[in-house]
Amino acid sequence: MNPEAEILRKKLSELFNWERRKRNEQILADMFFYALLGAVLALPFHPLLPPAISRYLIPILVFLLLAPVFFIRRRWRLEDTARTIVRVDKTLRLDERTITAWELLQRNETRAAARWVLKEAGEKLATFDPRSLLRRNWSWQARLALPFLVVWLGLVWLGVGLQLESAVEFSTPKALAQKLREFSRDLQDKAKTEGLQESLRMGRELEQLAQKSIEAKADDEKLKNELAAMKKKVETTGQSADQTWSGAGSRQDLRDLKAELEAARDILNMPAAKGTEELGKQWLDQLATLPQLKRQFDLQNQKGGDLGHNDLKSFLDKLEKQATGELDRRTLLEAQQFLDQLMKEGQKDRGESDVQMAGQAKEDLPEEGEKTNNRSNLPGKEPGKKAEGESPLPNFQAGAAAHIKGLLGEGNSRNLELKGKPSAAKSEVSQDEVIASYRRQAEAELNTERVPEGLRETIKNYFLSLGIGNAPNEP
Amino acid sequence: MEEVAEIEQRMERARRSFDELRAEMARVIVGHEELIEQVFIALVCGGHCLLEGVPGLGKTLMVRSLGEILSLSFSRIQFTPDLMPADITGTNVLTDDPSGRKIFEFQRGPVFAHILLADEINRATPKTQSALLEAMQEQSVTVGGKVHRLENPFMVLATQNPIEMEGTYPLPEAQVDRFFFKLLLQYPSRQELARIADLTTAAAPAALHEIVDAAGILQMRQWVRDVPLAELVKDYAVRLVLGTHPQRGSSDEALKVAQKFVLYGSSPRGLQSLILAAKARSLLAGRPNVSFEDIRIMLPPSLRHRLILNLEADAEGVSAEKIINEVLEQVPEVP
Repeated sequence: MNPEAEILRKKLSELFNWERRKRNEQILADMFFYALLGAVLALPFHPLLPPAISRYLIPILVFLLLAPVFFIRRRWRLEDTARTIVRVDKTLRLDERTITAWELLQRNETRAAARWVLKEAGEKLATFDPRSLLRRNWSWQARLALPFLVVWLGLVWLGVGLQLESAVEFSTPKALAQKLREFSRDLQDKAKTEGLQESLRMGRELEQLAQKSIEAKADDEKLKNELAAMKKKVETTGQSADQTWSGAGSRQDLRDLKAELEAARDILNMPAAKGTEELGKQWLDQLATLPQLKRQFDLQNQKGGDLGHNDLKSFLDKLEKQATGELDRRTLLEAQQFLDQLMKEGQKDRGESDVQMAGQAKEDLPEEGEKTNNRSNLPGKEPGKKAEGESPLPNFQAGAAAHIKGLLGEGNSRNLELKGKPSAAKSEVSQDEVIASYRRQAEAELNTERVPEGLRETIKNYFLSLGIGNAPNEP
Repeated sequence: MEEVAEIEQRMERARRSFDELRAEMARVIVGHEELIEQVFIALVCGGHCLLEGVPGLGKTLMVRSLGEILSLSFSRIQFTPDLMPADITGTNVLTDDPSGRKIFEFQRGPVFAHILLADEINRATPKTQSALLEAMQEQSVTVGGKVHRLENPFMVLATQNPIEMEGTYPLPEAQVDRFFFKLLLQYPSRQELARIADLTTAAAPAALHEIVDAAGILQMRQWVRDVPLAELVKDYAVRLVLGTHPQRGSSDEALKVAQKFVLYGSSPRGLQSLILAAKARSLLAGRPNVSFEDIRIMLPPSLRHRLILNLEADAEGVSAEKIINEVLEQVPEVP
């Protein structure tokens, strides 16, 4: 074999190997860039992928997907060989000696002229170093690959995709926090209206907790922990509220009582009522128009005619304090139940039912003549109808039977879940609370009916009179 | 088996001969270096040239000088409208033999020279033109049924005057296509004019030395055909030629400029002359192979007379030269 041809073959082989290596490196660098690009673009869609696919695996997956495409489309071809040789000729200014020599080698030409070309080309390429002459020329994708890697790592570290995952997964706690905030605001409004200091204070704390949770985008567990702590606090506050109220009566009764107490104070402040005897007479006249107050007087065996101005005043103050304390306690109890229900949301326990939210004051007072949705499955009779053989309320049996469960899907159904106060080895629900809940439901149902405003009080008193007459355990 | 060293010597001899020829020509001809090179290339390729230029640029002097340097016989024919074919080829003349008998003897015409300068070929009638063109093609003339071979090497340099076209018989395209090159003579520059004045008016013209003889030219013709040509370079030449064709269906290399201005592109003769000329150029430059540069340089003289332009080119004043330059710009060396 022609020695010049040998030198030439060796040099060309070295050249082709170097160019192929550069090509493969370029392909890998480009694939690396596009893999990272794909990973960045896929970050928002990560929640749609199976959980087994970590964010850190996405670039590898894209890389493997792109590998066949890149390596097949950009594989080394004969044209690339020709172009490489032409490039060498241009760079070394060999006037196409190399390409001519390469082709002559391929054809195994033995003519003198061909051998002369091989000789010339061999001499020119003897000192040719492909690596130094044809240096790497990275594409823009290869140059951007490393910066893009930093960008991708930064996005992953900052949890850019996670935030969207959070939007998917954390919709429940964010809704919980919003529900809590709404409830706390309603609670505060109600407490302000009714002068319930403890409820107002708790409402403010609940609102702060809800706002903090929304702003911090707290996770599910953290919010529930805080709700549990808040619930204990509400419970403690409820227990510390004035519990001297001994009378039964619904929430509306207590409100009515407070209103009547206000009216009674007005009577006491009238100048004509300063004398005891005159006061007693007027007082008795007015008391007839204040049924709630009159009932309280009767319950406490008081005779309004025998009380002096100051005595009456102190009695009224005491009664108001008791009524307010009882309202406060009940409100806190409802808040506690609401927090319970809130903590259970998201557990998807279909046996549980919603708790009637105490904070929604507008449910108690619907608009004139406006019919709202019937929100309860009442065990009693529909308002306005008097069934024959009306039976009294059943005796309350503590236990599972008292746990009224709603059936999902049967319209808007809300029931009160009553749980006893935790005590060592025993937990019970007082009968008063059950009766109160029944009465509350009855009142609510009454309020949803189209009843003229003027007759509302009459009808209410009528049903109350029925209840007072038939309630066996009522003090 | 020929050795590489012989090849190297051969190439060296050719290059040296050409350098000496240029130097020798420069003693009597001012400028026209490119023209001289192209004429010599055409000679070693066995082709004929069509020279176009205004009178007085030194065409005759150049051709005569070339003949002297190459030890080749030279003759000149001034074509006129009344020139007859026999005036070119020769004719049988009645004469006496040594014994006194009357015989017909063929009297050779001026075409029987190594180098023939056919001045203003477009002034002769088509019949006369065809007589010359036949001689160019066949390297022989037929008179009285007898074929007479022309000298070898034989080269015709025909000239055309681009100014006086009235009353002339332009060569048909098919005849023009038989010329290897069409060369354009440019008017000399200021410095060249001054030099011309010095050479032609101050002293007697210098005597020229012989550089190469006819045998040497014929040998060079063989050497030219031995120059290796890479497939890639050949492909480049092919794409250039195809780029002059307007029909898209005939090739993928049809260019917009060709589609717009060219009626018919170059024939395969254009490719032959292009490649041969490129080989000759590389030989005379002392290179062992043909390069892209050779192809590019040889393209204009090879193709400028082979493109038939349409009326739009005529209207817009687009010349074949411009189209060839456009083709060179748009066709890449490596696809």
